[in-house]
Amino acid sequence: MGVLPFFLFSGMFLIAPAIILAYRSLEGPDGTLTLDNYRALTSDTVVAAYSMSVRISLTTAVLGGVIGFFLAWAVSMGGLPGPFRSGLTTFSGVASNFAGVPLAAAFIFTLGRVGVVTALFELIGVDLYGSGFTIYSYWGLSLIYLFFQIPLMVLVMLPALDGLKRDWREAAENLGATPGQYWRRVALPVLLPSILGTMILLFGNAFGAHATAYALTGGLLPLATLLIGQQISGDVLNNPGLGYAVAMGMVFIMALSIFLYSVLQRRSERWLG
Amino acid sequence: MKRYLIIGVVMATLLAACGDGTDTSTTAGATDTTAGATETTAGATETTAGSADTTVAAVGGMEELIAAAQAEGTLTTIALPHDWCGYGTVIEGFKTEYGLEVNELDPGAGSAEELEAIDANRDNPGPQAPDVIDVGLAFGPQAVEQGLIQPYQVATWDEIPDDAKDPDGYWYGDYYGVLSLEVNTSAVTAPPAEYADLLDPAYNGQIALSGDPLTSNAAILSVWAAGLATGATGVEAAQAGLDFFAELNAAGNFVPIDGDSRTVGIGETPILIDWSYNSIANDVNLAGNPDIETIVPEAGRIAGVYVQAISAFAPHPNAAKLWMEYLYSDAGQLGWASAFCHPIRFEAMSAAGTIPPEVAEQLPSTEGAFFPSIEEIEAASAVIVEGWPSVVGVTVEPSPSGG
Repeated sequence: MGVLPFFLFSGMFLIAPAIILAYRSLEGPDGTLTLDNYRALTSDTVVAAYSMSVRISLTTAVLGGVIGFFLAWAVSMGGLPGPFRSGLTTFSGVASNFAGVPLAAAFIFTLGRVGVVTALFELIGVDLYGSGFTIYSYWGLSLIYLFFQIPLMVLVMLPALDGLKRDWREAAENLGATPGQYWRRVALPVLLPSILGTMILLFGNAFGAHATAYALTGGLLPLATLLIGQQISGDVLNNPGLGYAVAMGMVFIMALSIFLYSVLQRRSERWLG
Repeated sequence: MKRYLIIGVVMATLLAACGDGTDTSTTAGATDTTAGATETTAGATETTAGSADTTVAAVGGMEELIAAAQAEGTLTTIALPHDWCGYGTVIEGFKTEYGLEVNELDPGAGSAEELEAIDANRDNPGPQAPDVIDVGLAFGPQAVEQGLIQPYQVATWDEIPDDAKDPDGYWYGDYYGVLSLEVNTSAVTAPPAEYADLLDPAYNGQIALSGDPLTSNAAILSVWAAGLATGATGVEAAQAGLDFFAELNAAGNFVPIDGDSRTVGIGETPILIDWSYNSIANDVNLAGNPDIETIVPEAGRIAGVYVQAISAFAPHPNAAKLWMEYLYSDAGQLGWASAFCHPIRFEAMSAAGTIPPEVAEQLPSTEGAFFPSIEEIEAASAVIVEGWPSVVGVTVEPSPSGG
């Protein structure tokens, strides 16, 4: 009985939509069953959108993962005073949930062509846009995604770093290991599944993002999520079946990353769980 | 393991949210099918309503029409923003002239929604059923196909250019504008004059379209216009336009965002390709802070036409016909012209000298503008929609130097 809310929730918001999605992706414009939508997934447009989505997700997962890890490391064992840690976790809690339209607007107002930070840079003689930078680009969007990716990494990595037992370090030192050897041989191997697992989480986080990119560019960057919107609501393209098929492709990629995540998670639980 | 489960559910919910959105549109699709099914009935009604009186003479003259309209008492319009082509003054003028009430539905609706409003109120003669619509050119034939509009020919029918009206009188062009470069001159000191000038390195990161070429008609026409400016025609110009934007993008001049009067005003995209009337109206609204200049390129000058039509199920058919007579009278046409839209009878009225010079002066030059037919627009759209993602979209990614 206690699990009823869980099954109700997952049934309504996960299983039922997934089944509808799968069914509709097999439907042609005239309502007959067809594989055409899946054949259309190999068209240049769709491949380009997937490719951009995957690359931007990889970029921000790796960069966000590395930067986030070092931040978490700095406050957990880097010897920074206590307030730094509580400050960072509070900020991370807020920032990791700061996405969508407000995030895009915040970046336009600060780093846009006429943004405050852009203007400040101009004051000290640095012409950001003149040197080729623009937030309306691959790297611009990556930068914006990093704003929520890094904090998410911090939040997930902190408990893992705290899980490193002081005994292991002492044992290594007693056996004559240098700090470098301790990190390479003990700490990193223990942490690696967590680090990679969280990076996969970040990948999924960026891969499914829609509102931020839409608010920033109005759909002109070719991302898989934006392509679905164009197929479903556009006046010009309007092929919902293809939209569903693109969404199914995303489900597949997400499922793959969740699978990888669960494998890595199981490994990291051996030591840190 | 528990954490994995939670994260899994969260991720899946994100995706499910996508599924949810798609769901709604399926329902819309279903409604469409119903529309198709009832089409035959619509066609039948139309013939009955339309056959008798498709001109003012058939109604029995202007006085008869006015009397019949006044007996109906009200006209229901839809999607007429008061700051769009001067509709505020036009509607006021109509009310004063004939003493009818005007019931204005959803001023913010788009062309597709207007057709939907007719469709949804087939059997409902209440205040939610529009009598008249004002839609983009391509929506005229679509409305005929769906049996949503009835024919009527205004008294000034002959002065509407042939390629801007349906030969059977179902829809008729009302006003047009040309694509222009809307330039914030406080941000751009040396404005471009032609599409080719946009490639100048001085305009780095400054040029935007007024929408996404995959979903917006104005954006598609903008790409096409840039291609026409190279001297190519038809479908080849569509390809040339794609090539032009690929080059513009590679040069870093193109900003891949959905530009509008706001992004031009604040200088985020100081150069926008948009309809001349929107650009001039933006200048008037901003009142010099900053200054907006509307530049109509010589090469690739392309016009966009809107069309009027009367609903096949109009609850006030005579009021609707009277509205059309008013819109296509000199007074109605000048109402649009005063708000920077070229009335469709512009040529004829210029020749007759019925456009006051101060009104004519503030209209942008449309001399030599290309008025594409619906077939031409459809052919060019197909090329641009197909090519945009691979020609421009993929390379929207500049060198990593900026990261």
